[in-house]
Amino acid sequence: MSSRLKKKLGNLGVDPSSARANESFCLIGTPLPPLEKSKDTGEFVPLWKQDVRDEQGRRRLHGAFTGGFSAGYFNTVGSKEGWTPATFVSSRSDRAKKKASRPEDFMDEEDLQELKDGRDVVDTTDEMDLAGGMKTGHGDDEEQDSVARALEASMLPAAKDSAGARILKKMGWRIGQGIGPRVTLRQRKLQDLQASGRRVVEADIIVPDDEEATKHTYAPRDTPILVVERKDNSHGLGYHPGMGLSESVGGGRNGAASGPKLAAGFGLGALNDADDDDVDVYDGGFAQNRNRTAYDITDREEDEKVSIGGKADPRSRSSAMPASSTQTFHDGKPVLAGFVLSDKPVAEDRWFPLADVPKGWKPDPKRVWDKENSQQPDGPSQTAPEKSDKWSRTGISADQRGSLLGETPLPHAPRSVFDFMSQKDRERLQNIASRERDGPTADSASTSAPRPAPLPSTITIPRTDPHIALAALRGGFVPFATNPAKQARYTAYLESQAPSDTPPPPPKPMPGQSVDEFNKELEDYAKAALIFKPLSGAMAGRFTSATIVEHGPQLAEGLYTPTAEDLARKDAALQKAEEEKVTPKVHAARMGMYGPMTRETQTWQPAKLLCKRFRVKDPNPPPEVPTEAPPASAAYAEQAAGAASGAGWDQFTAPSGDGTGGSSMASSSGGRRDLSNIGLGEDEAQGRDTLTYERPAMDVFKAIFASDDEDSDDDAKDDNAEEPPPLPTVQTAAAAPPPQTTPALDVAMPDAPETGVVDVGTFKPTFIPREGKAKKDPNRAKDKKDKKKREKVLVSFQEDEEGPLQISVKDRPKKKRRKDKEPNDKDDMWVEKPAPDVVKEFTIPPTSSEPPMAEPPPSEPQALKGRKRAIDFM
Amino acid sequence: MPPRAERGPEPLPRQLHTTLSAHKGPVNVARYAKGAAKYILTGGQDRTVKLWNANLGTEVKTFAAHGYEVLSISVSHDNAQFASSGGDRSVFVWDVGTAVTTRRLAGHMGKIHVVEFNEDASVLASGSFDSTVRLWDLRAQNRQAIQVLEEARDAVQTLHVGSTYITTGSLDGHVRTYDLRKGELRSDYMGYPVTAVVPTQDSQTLLVTTVDSHIRLMDMTNGKLLNDFTGHTNTEYRCRACFGHGEATVVCGDEKATVWAWDLLDAKPLQPNPPPKVHNKVITWTEHHPIEKGEMLTASADGTVKVWRQAETEQPM
Repeated sequence: MSSRLKKKLGNLGVDPSSARANESFCLIGTPLPPLEKSKDTGEFVPLWKQDVRDEQGRRRLHGAFTGGFSAGYFNTVGSKEGWTPATFVSSRSDRAKKKASRPEDFMDEEDLQELKDGRDVVDTTDEMDLAGGMKTGHGDDEEQDSVARALEASMLPAAKDSAGARILKKMGWRIGQGIGPRVTLRQRKLQDLQASGRRVVEADIIVPDDEEATKHTYAPRDTPILVVERKDNSHGLGYHPGMGLSESVGGGRNGAASGPKLAAGFGLGALNDADDDDVDVYDGGFAQNRNRTAYDITDREEDEKVSIGGKADPRSRSSAMPASSTQTFHDGKPVLAGFVLSDKPVAEDRWFPLADVPKGWKPDPKRVWDKENSQQPDGPSQTAPEKSDKWSRTGISADQRGSLLGETPLPHAPRSVFDFMSQKDRERLQNIASRERDGPTADSASTSAPRPAPLPSTITIPRTDPHIALAALRGGFVPFATNPAKQARYTAYLESQAPSDTPPPPPKPMPGQSVDEFNKELEDYAKAALIFKPLSGAMAGRFTSATIVEHGPQLAEGLYTPTAEDLARKDAALQKAEEEKVTPKVHAARMGMYGPMTRETQTWQPAKLLCKRFRVKDPNPPPEVPTEAPPASAAYAEQAAGAASGAGWDQFTAPSGDGTGGSSMASSSGGRRDLSNIGLGEDEAQGRDTLTYERPAMDVFKAIFASDDEDSDDDAKDDNAEEPPPLPTVQTAAAAPPPQTTPALDVAMPDAPETGVVDVGTFKPTFIPREGKAKKDPNRAKDKKDKKKREKVLVSFQEDEEGPLQISVKDRPKKKRRKDKEPNDKDDMWVEKPAPDVVKEFTIPPTSSEPPMAEPPPSEPQALKGRKRAIDFM
Repeated sequence: MPPRAERGPEPLPRQLHTTLSAHKGPVNVARYAKGAAKYILTGGQDRTVKLWNANLGTEVKTFAAHGYEVLSISVSHDNAQFASSGGDRSVFVWDVGTAVTTRRLAGHMGKIHVVEFNEDASVLASGSFDSTVRLWDLRAQNRQAIQVLEEARDAVQTLHVGSTYITTGSLDGHVRTYDLRKGELRSDYMGYPVTAVVPTQDSQTLLVTTVDSHIRLMDMTNGKLLNDFTGHTNTEYRCRACFGHGEATVVCGDEKATVWAWDLLDAKPLQPNPPPKVHNKVITWTEHHPIEKGEMLTASADGTVKVWRQAETEQPM
């Protein structure tokens, strides 16, 4: 704070040292952004910046232009395209080869992983050995006693424990023990008694007076698992084979199995006391009593002798044990204690040597069939009794048996009226009914149907209506196409049925054919005639039957054993097919008719670099990006020619076609590489800014170039005074010559980039005014000439004394110097280098009527460009 | 000049000038150098490329880098480098002076039957058993092929690189001409596996050797048959036929180790007919001297390369 201000403030009564007085209110400069961008996770992200990722951080959704939803490649399913596209081809021959696809084929790695996890869970449960140590508790297996079990346990590989079993084991559980807190000996005895279902008598629970035994606690007894066996026999429920009558009634219950039905579970709760109340009241009392008396004899100790709990079967044990001691093997050795000899001998697999195939044997199943056929006639008589024997043991039906026993016959289903009718009446009725049902043609089938099965010894020829037979004959339908012989017999049958003057002899059975079979065959014929009845009446006339009867493929019976001629025929057919497959091209080549027949032409795209190396133009240039040339040029046209012409580029080029320069420009609008853009390189947009460049307002130039000095101020004033008129002149001048100027401009365009590249060191910007300005008072310019000469050092680019007005900008851009306007001078363009040769050829055709003013417009862009560059370099 | 007075094609040089026999196995290819063509490059089954002085018959240099047999050689226009290819599935570009490989272009999947420079040795084309033709850029350092021509359905046995076209001959019986200027591929079906294509200087006609013992002169513009040269035996091996001096004759060494010559125009075998046997085994390569009138060479599976001259042109070169 300056001292003056302090004093002033002091006068005002403000304490200059106070913080308020020192507060600064002006901020200088722009504050820097915070050093760290605050991480805001909830920050709004535009939609196009968001992306969807799966749990593994892979991008799943891509933009529509970058692939859309991609299941393939990066998150790959198989190929870059995602799913490998498969074409469906229907092929009868390859049907067998088709591999059924499994669901795994359509899963990606995640799905597979999931599947695998699921499987793992299943596997752990599968491993669980449910029966481990518990199956033995079941009382049914008589043959397994403790020794056998122990042996088995030692011999067999240890079953894999389930997870639960492992946990239990860690907690101290052992196989064979029950689950629950350890109990005292007394409690355990009690449990045993309760499990056995006996009445708990105080005397039973007397603990043997053993110091050691009472010292310890014991694991509770194991709870047996109820194994429900599959019932695969035909016995009644609850019946076991070998049960006597009394046993099956219920007397056979042994003590261990019987007892009060108590809830089985892990230990006994306080409420589950096996009291009389819990006993099933409907249980037969006599049986219980008998049980008790029968099995009280059994030593209770036996139960405990069995190391593994559960209901042991004392009956079986007692029966087996004595036998074991006496049995001996066939070689005299005594059977081990605890083992029982099996009374069933081990069944041996019998193996037979392969039959010798006689030499020259040929597989001929036909022979076997023939043999069977020849034996057929006496077949039925043999099989009939067999059948009955098979199905009913005694050969007597239930009714027969009933009558034999003198039973009253069971009530029948309500008798129908037909039962009271005579056989003939019934037939007649049925005939009529079926005729109504099936139309006029169904009678023959119905006549034969209700008839009782004909006796096998008589040939019954089913009747076919004559007109049906006739129609079937004429219809040409061949039901037995695969078997010509049968077809012939069918025809014969039809003929026999068809109305004719001399009815042919009725069909006879084939030699070796049983009557039964023949009858059946004839019935088939009758049915066939019915089924394949031809179209009747008016419809029939609309169709013609095929003239060639197609007999299906000849099927050879038995194994296929091709003969030599078969093979030869096949080869020939193959060869023929191959010959037919020969394309005309190959045929022509074989015939030596080379030329259009053997020539194929297709487009081929050589690589760009290859064309370059071979110095060949790219034959099929890639479709170019739609050029912006037309709008740009149109814009220029409007700028240059004003709204007067209002025409596009094409209208400019079209009339210029007659000129030499114009002709080369004819195609310039197409954006092709031709003379118009030679030197522009590959970039078509290059130099376009020169076309579309808008001249900045004069004020800008003044602000930059005009000096503050008095004399230049004068000039500026003059300029200001004369500003308005020049601009319109420019426009009118430009409007007049458009057809010629545009090509010229185009030709000159290549120069632009060249001029644009300026060495900064040597750069001497020149300001070229529009001709309108240049046109203004030449005298005045001459006045300035002296001044200019005086300051010649500053003038940098000045070729001609008579040149246009130039403003040189150097270290002291103070003055605008004006000179006489030389109308047709090209020097007013900023050309540092001579135009390329090509361009030179396409100079503007001299037009006689052209006013000298016409020239400048093309130069304007260059001039503008120069000016622009000047600005850039300032 | 030969004693033949009548106007007709030059007789074949039948006098053995020298025998180049340093190869230890069949010689697969023998090429004249460019320019005055005073040197011969041969490549053989013994995995070496040898440079010979054709006049003196002396071995100048041996280029040994191949791991497999050498099947094809192409000499660049300036004789400064040459390319060779063979069983080792890569093209070797050699510097002749230092006898080292400057590039090894790998990319083919099978043995490379043929390799050819373009006119200014900026592009190298190689045709392979894998039925592709690969075009390699020798200007840039890029080791990738510029383009792979995969139209052939069978091994590419031969190719020729013209100024603006590439002609390939394949075992699938097609001669394919890739026209760079038109952007067009013309496939001519010959009917038999093509083992050699040699165009005339004007690039209008093409001499196509196929293994049906025929040599056909095809019109490249429309694919028509202009002439058919028969008489020799060629059913199994690549026996390259070539034009004689001035393209007036067609010369081919066949599998019976004889060298046949035909008049280009009337396709009649020149005398002697049948020609004498000049090698012990099949003649694998026949090439006429590019400039010299009376000189040609034959390479054979018997391990020798023979340089033939006319009796009259015996003067030392």
